[in-house]
Amino acid sequence: MNTVIIINLNGNAFHLEEPGFKSLQAYLERAQAALKDNPDKVEIMADLEQAIADKCARFLLPHKNVLTAAEIDEVLKEMGPVQSENTADAGAAGTGGGSGPNPESKPGVAGAGAPKRLYQIREGAMLSGVCTGLAAYLNVDVTIVRIAFVLLTLLTSGIWILVYLGMMLVVPFANTGEEHAAAAGAPFNAQEVIDRAKKHYGEFKDSKEWRRHWRQQRREWRRQWREGAYWWGHNLQRNVHAVSSSAGYGGHLGATLLIPFLAVFNAVLFCALIAAIVSLATTGAIFGWVVAGSIPLWVSILILMFFYSMISRPLRHARRAIYFNTGGNNFYWFAAWYEILSTGVLILVCWLAYTHLPEVRDFFQHFTQNVTLMWNNIVDSFHHTVSHKPASGIDARLPAAAAAASASAFLALRT
Amino acid sequence: MTTDPKFNPIRKGLLEFLILQIISADKVYVADMMKRLQETDFATQEGTLYPLLSKMRREEYVDYEWQESESGPPRKYYKLTAKGKTQLAEFKDYWAYLNTTINQLGR
Repeated sequence: MNTVIIINLNGNAFHLEEPGFKSLQAYLERAQAALKDNPDKVEIMADLEQAIADKCARFLLPHKNVLTAAEIDEVLKEMGPVQSENTADAGAAGTGGGSGPNPESKPGVAGAGAPKRLYQIREGAMLSGVCTGLAAYLNVDVTIVRIAFVLLTLLTSGIWILVYLGMMLVVPFANTGEEHAAAAGAPFNAQEVIDRAKKHYGEFKDSKEWRRHWRQQRREWRRQWREGAYWWGHNLQRNVHAVSSSAGYGGHLGATLLIPFLAVFNAVLFCALIAAIVSLATTGAIFGWVVAGSIPLWVSILILMFFYSMISRPLRHARRAIYFNTGGNNFYWFAAWYEILSTGVLILVCWLAYTHLPEVRDFFQHFTQNVTLMWNNIVDSFHHTVSHKPASGIDARLPAAAAAASASAFLALRT
Repeated sequence: MTTDPKFNPIRKGLLEFLILQIISADKVYVADMMKRLQETDFATQEGTLYPLLSKMRREEYVDYEWQESESGPPRKYYKLTAKGKTQLAEFKDYWAYLNTTINQLGR
């Protein structure tokens, strides 16, 4: 026994089994997406619905008035994937028959693997769908992505959460079937949609099983989180102990000498990070070293920031250990001294770079243009990821995301 | 005749002109067109044909009129416009020219 849904196809009523209805819905959704920019979209959709209705009619008999899922699948297979205008006349231009101009067509692209785009996927998501989307994008298990996120959060003492928030704001949701396909880079055709719709339906049907699985996973997560937090705290304590055990006057002096070294190193490292980001955003290469073409700019910047925090983390711990070791009022003196020193070194490095490196001077002399260029490049790299979303949508979210990203950068650098 | 995927772009590009040719004989509706193409190398599906026909209509090569049918709803019957006829003639000339070129290059 199956639930039956009554639908209206261009003015004709049909009874469909529920899975068949899902397939049909997915097919029509895909058709809508393909015809999105077509001025005759409404008319073509009506034609398609009529054609589907004609095909469905042949399965109906006086005593059989419901279409099975298998019959719908057969009809949709006969219909074939709806092709957008650009793919439809890509070949026509190739023959040079004098057909209309088609500046956007890409000959030979039709059969190639679909482009991958980063989306948030709500299905199976724990929070917003960032991890599920990334898992689909990177083609790895979502659990691995989640573990990576939790580890990164622990390693960066929570700053990574801001990266997550930033992605939540910027990365679009996969809503249509086509976007789901693009998220996984899967080739998109009618059969694919049908398969996915069926799978989705199956999962939905077993939602009890699904919920149980979800609960189990959530429990697992909480456990991992607690363990991680314990590990981190334990580690820090050990660090402090290691330094304080070697304390005494010698240790004190060592710490006093160590602080300038840390200050200089940290300032230089920070300058290197900023220079690398600027170089990447303006020229697409880090000091002449070209990043692999498939990595979007904003991902490269995140990776850079990650490496920075990986390097600066042990230094930060060492510094904290020194503060704790000296104890009492000295704590504040050391902290203040460190801040003054590192700011001084920062200014010194900037000044040296400005006077000695023509590239740096050039950058500051055309500061506004360069910043605009960087900004546009970064925004473009997002747009590339979401190329068929209307630009206005992303523009509204970008400032918020940029604020989150810069806040995360600032916190990561100063803690 | 051939299933070599290398010829796919050629088939795809020619489809528009074959449709002009089919329509040139008499007014036809889509199911007829599909049937005619089904027997050839140019078999196609509604998903491809409807968007293509709508584009050709927008570019004024073809036009359609509604006609009642004995069974079922009224159907769209397609016919060539003057522009479509010119285009088809041009295509045939060009095709002949291509044939000559290909044959002559072989010598």
